[in-house]
Amino acid sequence: MATKRYADEGFSDASFPSKRARKTGDNDDYVDVDEDDFDGPDSAANNSLIPRGATINFSALTRKLAQNRKPNDDEDGPEESSLTSHRKQQDNLVSHIFQDQDFSWLHLKPDHASRPIWISPEDGHIILEAFSPIAEQAQDFLVAISEPVSRPAFIHEYKLTPYSLYAAVSVGLQTEDIIEVLNRLSKVPVPESIVTFIRERTLSYGKVKLVLKHNKYYVESTHPETLQVLLKDKVIRDARVHSQPTDNSIKAATFTTSKAPVKGNLVIPGTKEAEKKKDDTTSGKQPANGTTDAELFTSVVGVDADEVDEDDDNVHAFEIDDAKIDDVKKRCNELEYPMLEEYDFRNDTVNANLDIDLKPSTVIRPYQETSLSKMFGNGRARSGIIVLPCGAGKTLVGITAACTIKKSCLVLCTSSVSVMQWRQQFIQWSNVTDKQIAVFTADQKEKFAGESGIVVSTYSMVANTHNRSHESKKMMEFLTSREWGFILLDEVHVVPAAMFRRVVTTIKAHSKLGLTATLVREDEKITDLNYMIGPKLYEANWMDLAAKGHIANVQCAEVWCPMTPEFYREYLREQSRKRMLLYCMNPKKFQACQFLIKYHEDRGDKIIVFSDNVFALEAYAKKLGKLYIHGGTGQVERMRILQHFQHSPAVNTIFLSKVGDTSIDLPEATCLIQISSHFGSRRQEAQRLGRILRAKRRNDEGFNAFFYSLVSKDTQEMFYSTKRQQFLIDQGYAFKVITHLDGLEELPDLVYKTKEEQIELISSVLLANESEAELGTDVRAGEGDLAGTITSKDFGLPTKFPSVHRSTGSLAALSGGQHMSYVEQNKSANKKLAREAAPRHKLFAKREKELQTARKGRG
Amino acid sequence: MKAIKGVLLTCDSAVKQILLALNEKGSFIIEDLDDYHVVIKADEEWRVRRELEAELEKNTYSLE
Repeated sequence: MATKRYADEGFSDASFPSKRARKTGDNDDYVDVDEDDFDGPDSAANNSLIPRGATINFSALTRKLAQNRKPNDDEDGPEESSLTSHRKQQDNLVSHIFQDQDFSWLHLKPDHASRPIWISPEDGHIILEAFSPIAEQAQDFLVAISEPVSRPAFIHEYKLTPYSLYAAVSVGLQTEDIIEVLNRLSKVPVPESIVTFIRERTLSYGKVKLVLKHNKYYVESTHPETLQVLLKDKVIRDARVHSQPTDNSIKAATFTTSKAPVKGNLVIPGTKEAEKKKDDTTSGKQPANGTTDAELFTSVVGVDADEVDEDDDNVHAFEIDDAKIDDVKKRCNELEYPMLEEYDFRNDTVNANLDIDLKPSTVIRPYQETSLSKMFGNGRARSGIIVLPCGAGKTLVGITAACTIKKSCLVLCTSSVSVMQWRQQFIQWSNVTDKQIAVFTADQKEKFAGESGIVVSTYSMVANTHNRSHESKKMMEFLTSREWGFILLDEVHVVPAAMFRRVVTTIKAHSKLGLTATLVREDEKITDLNYMIGPKLYEANWMDLAAKGHIANVQCAEVWCPMTPEFYREYLREQSRKRMLLYCMNPKKFQACQFLIKYHEDRGDKIIVFSDNVFALEAYAKKLGKLYIHGGTGQVERMRILQHFQHSPAVNTIFLSKVGDTSIDLPEATCLIQISSHFGSRRQEAQRLGRILRAKRRNDEGFNAFFYSLVSKDTQEMFYSTKRQQFLIDQGYAFKVITHLDGLEELPDLVYKTKEEQIELISSVLLANESEAELGTDVRAGEGDLAGTITSKDFGLPTKFPSVHRSTGSLAALSGGQHMSYVEQNKSANKKLAREAAPRHKLFAKREKELQTARKGRG
Repeated sequence: MKAIKGVLLTCDSAVKQILLALNEKGSFIIEDLDDYHVVIKADEEWRVRRELEAELEKNTYSLE
């Protein structure tokens, strides 16, 4: 409750990002007038001072700016009056246009042209000129203190929220530094309202930490006053454990005081630092740390770890009772002193170490390193969320974190499919042995051998409270009885709050890391996560990663397909679900799909076509003679199809239903066409885009992947389509609208060209059951899969395509008496594939057998 | 027969289908010429325009 309130009372009217961006554009227009007078000497000085790409030394910058400002102030005397009158005149001219959003009273600094940001005094939105020479540094800083709202090519928008400030404090930034750096970057003096807001929010945030040390919970703070404030509260006082008899009336009760932790010699495996470490073991760690720390902390611009800890070297702490930890946490939230959770895993002697490390061949990318350095900033593990795009290696970040902490680890994911994926990835990237990693799902209940290990499970297996089999009960006892060093939460955005709370309370974990690609929820409950897991530690910039070649460059397009009059008439008549079938099966969409497939196959692209609707999927695939996979496709057939897609030059297109959204990895695909989708789900759109982000060919010169959304004009689909795109647009993707595909009409053997064919199609659509219009009917949910994931709808296997055809004829004719024979039209292309499965190589067959015997031996 | 003042509407085929659907609720179409043209009663023109606008607006996503 308390947390919700923070979010609300901060800025209430902050929900119109694009509108705001436009508005500032306007602002820029009218303030540019007197730019010429001032930007000459200053901007030149600044530009020479700040070479592009270098780490910017802010203190030097301010000194310089201050120097420049002084002489300006001195000679301002006569100029001032003309300037002010000029401004007043301007204000009068334009202020009525902006009405209550007239911010002309925020006067620009003389050297505003060289400063990249503007802050709205009302709602804390920050507008950044992404083309400014120092934009990169400013971005790093803004990501640390605020939440990115929208990041297209030239103008970025960020938003200061209580949570983002909380996160900023948690990574070691101090209130005054934040305000000072903002002031340096801002075109206008930072508005008073924002300064107060930052002060208010950071005053209490992050000042109190909850630390598990030697298996005891300590409330820790660098500010003894804060602890005293907390101890005045009854709930907290009662929860305190007294190591020695002390009088409660003495408020200055003894706190344990110790040196504040510094990052020291903690090495995240796989990073440059780790490599360097190997090189210079003799020269001592000090110089090595000095340089690499600077690299690691580029994101915390201009704030050195030393500076931060300068004035308070000591931390104070008091111990609290394990059992009352929840009450204390809750109470602290109410008192507006939310606790940061950190885990001093290197000094944890109670829990057994898990001897795992990344394989030497595993190298992590710079942004993965940055995100991890945020987590392990002071040598302890912070709890929080890391946001990386699909295909950018979230799993590896999680695995590296686990390898850094080296304690028992619990991994929770959303479905049993991803459980197996995580297990496989752990084995692939780290030297964890088969014995150390166990799986807990409905089908498999394993325990790891030895003192410590990794367990991979699903949220619902752990959160489920009733109807447990004997085995899983025992497994749960195993999970709850021990203490976990680290809990990894995959796809955190889908977990319902109640389930999450249950997980967090039943499992004792020292640190939590949430991973997600899309921190959006259609129900806007994302803020709950902030308080249950921790602040957002890092969010990658998609465009940035694409520019650096970590993910593919994608051209997005929305193709508008007009509805044929017949289909549209039926569309207007039908209600709800059948409507969807009508706009999916629109013959013009068929044609557009055929055309795009043809076009991209000729270019040499590998194409995935997505359809949520299984009825449409089969109809399209059969008509166009392509392979398809949906939930009803058998495992053997599925493997065969995927193999053909990956290796055969003859198969360049496959049709996938929802099953392909997440669980099938196809790095060959370079083009994606979407014909039907799950209403306005922004997450699905991002997930699907993720299918082509890891394209194998992404590093080729000038390579582009293509993402097409086929939309039937004048239908609800237009609405959903725009809504779905919002997330990607905010990440900086631009959707081109294609209203007409050039050369579509000239395509030979174009499907549904004649009215008769179209009418035949519509009658088959109208004959289809209502249930055919359901989405994702093909994916059976496994026991323990979460609602909101792809497998959440269970309607069993799809029924067959109803191809009813009415004709007149005598019985004799129909039974073949008049030499009439039947041919199966519209055959599934799947059937044409070779029947037999590819024979397994002896080596693999043998290996599998061995694995199985090994497993048996263990169980 | 009384003469009725009419307006010729030129539209795309989808809009024409919407017009036909609207026409079922309250008749205003005088003559349905082809896929792209209809003649409607002049008095009804503004009402039809308004309703058509509302119908089309349903499929537009806005941030508000």
